[in-house]
Amino acid sequence: MTKKISFSIIALCIVTLVQEFGFTRLALFEAFPDALAVFIAFLAVTQGQRTSTSFGFAAGILAGIFSGNLGLHTLAITTGGFLAGYFHSPEDSHATAKQKTRRFYGAVLTAEFASHTMITAVYNPLGLSPEYRIVTLGLLASLLSLTLAFIANRLILRKTFAS
Amino acid sequence: MRKFFTLFFKHNALLLFIAYCCIALFFMKLEKKDTFSKLQTSGIEFSAGVNEKLVNLTSLLNVDKENERLMLINRDLLIKVLNYETTTVDERNLRIILDTPTFNASGFTIARVVARKFSERENMLVINAGWSNGIKKDMTVLVPEGLVGRVISVSEHYARVMPVIHTDFKVSVVSDSSNCTGILSWSGGAESIAHVEHIPISSRLKLYERMLTSDFSTFAMRGIPVGKVVRIKPDKLFYSIDLRLAVDFSSLTQVLVAPLKIEPEKMAMSNDSTLIEQNP
Repeated sequence: MTKKISFSIIALCIVTLVQEFGFTRLALFEAFPDALAVFIAFLAVTQGQRTSTSFGFAAGILAGIFSGNLGLHTLAITTGGFLAGYFHSPEDSHATAKQKTRRFYGAVLTAEFASHTMITAVYNPLGLSPEYRIVTLGLLASLLSLTLAFIANRLILRKTFAS
Repeated sequence: MRKFFTLFFKHNALLLFIAYCCIALFFMKLEKKDTFSKLQTSGIEFSAGVNEKLVNLTSLLNVDKENERLMLINRDLLIKVLNYETTTVDERNLRIILDTPTFNASGFTIARVVARKFSERENMLVINAGWSNGIKKDMTVLVPEGLVGRVISVSEHYARVMPVIHTDFKVSVVSDSSNCTGILSWSGGAESIAHVEHIPISSRLKLYERMLTSDFSTFAMRGIPVGKVVRIKPDKLFYSIDLRLAVDFSSLTQVLVAPLKIEPEKMAMSNDSTLIEQNP
């Protein structure tokens, strides 16, 4: 258990750095994929809502330190983690790998859209309309995160879901 | 109590979420405090430092492209600088011509020398004024300092000017003090030295006298400075006179073109002697 948590914390730090210095440069019409949402969604599906909420809180603090909006990012990513926790697949549910994968994608979409909407509602540096930011950019960001989740699933997570 | 704990364990995720949200809101409220702002600035400092290193690494890999881009920018800037400098010089020269107090440039056409041909025995100028600007053949070209030449051919926007320093160029000149008249010509060699012929030995011409165009000239208006006498060498019947020209042909940029000198009666008188008997 402790080993698992330590590994998750280290993974969280690495994912945060990759997100901050890597994926933010892959912007498409001001939206970019969110590796943190993918990570939180994975934890939500495999570990449960408490874990995803807690790790969402920690990820929010880290992301907030880098971005300068500590409280806002903490609140947004915690909310994303909490909502993604509803996609948890318990161990005794006998869910197939395919079902877990679908839940994982659902969790990614929910976590990303929720955190993006929360940030958008409070912080608008470009003065864009809320509808455009929330609907268009939110959906675009969710789509990009979903693409990232698909790639991550194909490369890394498939075995975990299968087991 | 039991119900409370049951409720707690049932909804512990929700309670945890609410607790985290409260902490996050607390962070938002305290963001302006010193401790948090220091944390934020440290985070921004770290983030910016790493970003800068990444940018430097990326630029190191793209040095060739960056050099090419900078070369193109340099080229464009150089063209602009040269254009500005040229425009400034042209404007200054134009000002010199227009502001000369003793010279009334109104009625004259201002033109710029756009080309010149120099060789041992031939010099030719091209100005950027043509018949669309009212330029005609045989018009006088001058600057306030003195005579430049004569228009010999004209196109729509340009005109060729035979300068004083041309072997075929000749103009009637007169000295300003002793009123000695002669014919100025240039036979090659130094650009600044021309010769005046047909001044008889009996004349009272002195050194450093100014020579001007005379009324005898068929194209040049009277009184245009030509040069200064620098050498007088007596020959059998006439003096051989060297004249230092007033115009520096190597630095010509802006010139003036004088209106055509039209004197048909004078031309006719010069060409046909029978006209003399018609006037009682």
